[in-house]
Amino acid sequence: MELLTRFTFVSACLFAEWAVTFIAVANCSISPSEMNGDSALKLPSAVIPVSQKSTLGSFYSLSLSSTFPEDLEVNEYCTELLRIYGQRYVTFANCLVTYARPVRVCQNCYTGFNSLEDIYKNISFDKSAPGNVSCHDSLMRSDRLMLLYTLFIKLDEIWTSAECKQCLNEDQDALSNDTLYFMATLNQSLSCFEQYQRNHTELCKDCKTSYKRLNEVYGRMEKNQMLCIDLEDAMNMTQHLWSKNFRCLLPREETVPVIAVSSFMLFLPIIFYLSSFLHSEQKKRKLIHPKRVKSSSSLMNIQDKFS
Amino acid sequence: DMANISKKVSWSGRGDDRGERTPLLNGAEDGKYNRHVLCFPQITQDIVRSRPKEIPHNEKLLSLKYESLDYDNSENQLFLEEERRMSHMGFRCLETRRWVICGLIGFLTGLIACLIDIAVEKLAGYKYSAVKQNIEKFTEFGGLSISLILWAVLNSAFVMVGAIAVAFFEPFAAGSGIPQIKCYLNGVKIPRVVRLKTLAIKVFGVICSVAGGLAVGKEGPMIHSGAVVAAGVSQGRSTSLKKDFKIFEYFRRDTEKRDFVSAGAAAGVSAAFGAPVGGVLFSLEEGASFWNQMLTWRIFFASMISTFTLNFFLSIYHGKPGELSSPGLINFGRFDSDSVQYNLYEIPLFIIMGALGGVLGALFNVINYWLTIFRIRYIHRPCLQVMEAMLVAAVTATVSFAMIYFSNDCQPLGQDNTEEYSLQLFCADGEYNSMATAFFNTPERSVRSLFHNPPGSYNPLTLGVFTLAYFVLAVWTYGLTVSAGVFIPSLLIGAAWGRLFGILLSTITSSQSIWADPGKYALIGAAAQLGGIVRMTLSLTVILVEATGSVTYGFPIMLVLMTAKIVGDYFIEGLYDVHIKLQSVPFLHWEAPPTSHWLTAREVMSSPVTCFNRVEKVGRIVDVLSNTSTNHNGFPVVAHTTENDEPGKICGLILRSQLIVLLKHKVFVERASSRLSHRKLQLKDFRDAYPRFPPIQSIHVSQDERECMMDLTEFMNPTPYTVPQETSLPRVFKLFRALGLRHLVVVDNENRVVGLVTRKDLARYHLGKDGLEELHLAQT
Repeated sequence: MELLTRFTFVSACLFAEWAVTFIAVANCSISPSEMNGDSALKLPSAVIPVSQKSTLGSFYSLSLSSTFPEDLEVNEYCTELLRIYGQRYVTFANCLVTYARPVRVCQNCYTGFNSLEDIYKNISFDKSAPGNVSCHDSLMRSDRLMLLYTLFIKLDEIWTSAECKQCLNEDQDALSNDTLYFMATLNQSLSCFEQYQRNHTELCKDCKTSYKRLNEVYGRMEKNQMLCIDLEDAMNMTQHLWSKNFRCLLPREETVPVIAVSSFMLFLPIIFYLSSFLHSEQKKRKLIHPKRVKSSSSLMNIQDKFS
Repeated sequence: DMANISKKVSWSGRGDDRGERTPLLNGAEDGKYNRHVLCFPQITQDIVRSRPKEIPHNEKLLSLKYESLDYDNSENQLFLEEERRMSHMGFRCLETRRWVICGLIGFLTGLIACLIDIAVEKLAGYKYSAVKQNIEKFTEFGGLSISLILWAVLNSAFVMVGAIAVAFFEPFAAGSGIPQIKCYLNGVKIPRVVRLKTLAIKVFGVICSVAGGLAVGKEGPMIHSGAVVAAGVSQGRSTSLKKDFKIFEYFRRDTEKRDFVSAGAAAGVSAAFGAPVGGVLFSLEEGASFWNQMLTWRIFFASMISTFTLNFFLSIYHGKPGELSSPGLINFGRFDSDSVQYNLYEIPLFIIMGALGGVLGALFNVINYWLTIFRIRYIHRPCLQVMEAMLVAAVTATVSFAMIYFSNDCQPLGQDNTEEYSLQLFCADGEYNSMATAFFNTPERSVRSLFHNPPGSYNPLTLGVFTLAYFVLAVWTYGLTVSAGVFIPSLLIGAAWGRLFGILLSTITSSQSIWADPGKYALIGAAAQLGGIVRMTLSLTVILVEATGSVTYGFPIMLVLMTAKIVGDYFIEGLYDVHIKLQSVPFLHWEAPPTSHWLTAREVMSSPVTCFNRVEKVGRIVDVLSNTSTNHNGFPVVAHTTENDEPGKICGLILRSQLIVLLKHKVFVERASSRLSHRKLQLKDFRDAYPRFPPIQSIHVSQDERECMMDLTEFMNPTPYTVPQETSLPRVFKLFRALGLRHLVVVDNENRVVGLVTRKDLARYHLGKDGLEELHLAQT
């Protein structure tokens, strides 16, 4: 796993910081009071439209929620769930962004995803909620924004399209054996590449076996649908190194035989058509003379008409 | 220049021998035949004439072997009796049966389409994966020329099997079959074209030729297949299998059969393109003079059933039973993302593309025309035809391989990897050879890639070279003795240059404009090219709109097809019309040629006519029917007159097929008493012999029987259509075309038969480069 860090093409840190801030803003608009001090969540004050709130405040009270009767309020149990959801959401999102380039999200974030999924399911299917109102209704379906739902669905989409599940074992709590094996193979190739860094022709020759095995493993896993974005990305980079950086391309050295065979093939029809033109007897058609009214009269007729 | 025209029409090209022929003919007439017969002098005509003139095959001929269908109902006494006997329920039943038949036609056509699709996919899959493995192996270790040979041999092997089946067993299964079906719907009986054997060979042949990698599609043959299914199902029996299911006996005549065939053709189109409405319109466009609202509705029913059946079975095959979202053999995919919207200012561009399509289509047709003439003249032996097909297959593989080998266009593998057989060859790992997506694939997959691959999947050079190579291959391939269609290759050529057009456009404008999405221009180019080649209008527009699944493109596609047709017609006719002409089929177009009003029925008709008396001697009937030199099919029945020279007054028309059935059942006046004990002859007896009436030679008539008499009154059509001699050609033509006639009797002012107009008499006039020209009749 550690080996992959060599391929840090994009410095992910900057991007990560920006994105986390963004998510924090999203979170705080739900209920800023629920957030307890995560070090990453420093709220830039400029983002909160304070000035607008204060102008509105002259007509209504500052806190909207305090005016509603108790039965419409979110109960404490649900608030606790919401808090946990928020925490886990941030952790997972943070993880995703941290490992965005080169992609290592599946290896590093599956725990985050699993715990987020747990809490989401808890909220969705909670039966043990005290009182009549379930948390599912009060948290998720009370307004048209349905923020909790939308946020989770977006991340779930990302997780699904990354196909991370294919790299994990059945319980989704560890990397599968095939994934580990692939990584080991990849490891070998990369160390080989490092060894021959200087001399590319040597590299192409000596690392070919390990690179080929890597390709084979990859091909087999592709066939069995056991690839996730991490492996695809790693493979992609390795292939790029191999073909573009080290230029280990196959030579095009059979031009002469290919041209020879092609021109022979193209020559055959010419012979065929020439010989059939010369040797095959031409198909003739026998003309039949139709019976008509005596032609002299009809000819006269036509001439009459035109004279 | 009037004189010039008259020279052209003066029974052209035979001015030299007219002088010696006329007196001879007259002499024979006077001497020999005047005694018994009223109008029966022409037998000697051919005997007397010196050797018939022979010319090389060309497009200005009409073949004698084609006959008309009997679309017109013969309202003889038998018919009236049968109608009287039939109850109200009986008619209801007939109507229900028509619907059942249409449903069956749709179902079976859909099944056949499904069979073809799966078989092609499997076979092509085996072939491509074998070649792919081989290429991959040899790319690394050397020996790619062996892969080339392997590919060529595999192609040739598939094509050889298909071509042998077609050339040796059923030559009428060759080609797309659309020209033949067009002729059938036009009212020409093309021998053997709607037989079960033809269908079997056609299906087998098309699988072989598509799997053999020829530049062909499997869509055209579906139309023919649908038509054969219709002709078979509606008759409730197969003469090829010698099996009679004893059902649908009422429909055993040309009128009914032709209606069903039009439903079958529609079902075929519908299955091929997933375009049920397009199918109906195709039938109407090709056979439109004989339709009514109920028939159209039934045709639509057959179409819908067909596309539904195909859908259903393909969904089972693809493992998603019940998911009915893959209509048609060819699936163009959906064009509904934002980038494929079009704007008003693109319309002129589309029109330019249409014109380009017309020019390229005309070029295609001209080259193919010369090639076809060469093939008819020199490559007419079956073994030569098979060899030619094999050579084309091998060359197709060679050209494709060479293109792929020398292409430097490498593209990264797409996200959802639509290319099933992507070749890497000398490209970097993780990339594929872009030329291979176009060549190393079945043509319809290539079309889809050209439509839908994201911008930047092909570089302009690749597309240019591909267009050129594929154009040549497709022109060369169409007309081979294999069963295969021209739709897909046309679409592919068009899609390639259309995409090229789109790419060039976006480089010219240089700004990152979204309106130059190459996929959109590929679609328009495909429509333009196809329109330029086949010149279908209404139906093709609807087919393409339905196949792309977006009505939004209806307007540009219509404009493009219009432009392509106008531009293309300036140079040469559509491909199907060219082939119909080259087959010497007496095809009647919508209208008589313009500037033909001065021609009258008197000049058009054949004369003198072989007539029968109302009560005629059996010996004479047998003699007339056995005369191979005339081989007439319809005989006016005249009232007996005493004077010798004058033709008799018309009282009916009888067909050869009816006479043969009468002779077979020995319906003679002298046997009338004995016949009473037997049952009376019914219309059913005529239907049972349909459609292959036995030849006259197979009917034995003894010397005694020759002296008997036959009363034709009961069996003849008592009210045939007649026209006076002075009727103009366009008038005759209109009557003939609109009513689907086979024989039109020309009478003088006393209702005496003076001539007979048949399809060949009308079809021979056509508008050439310098005015009205006349085609020759020829034995083919």
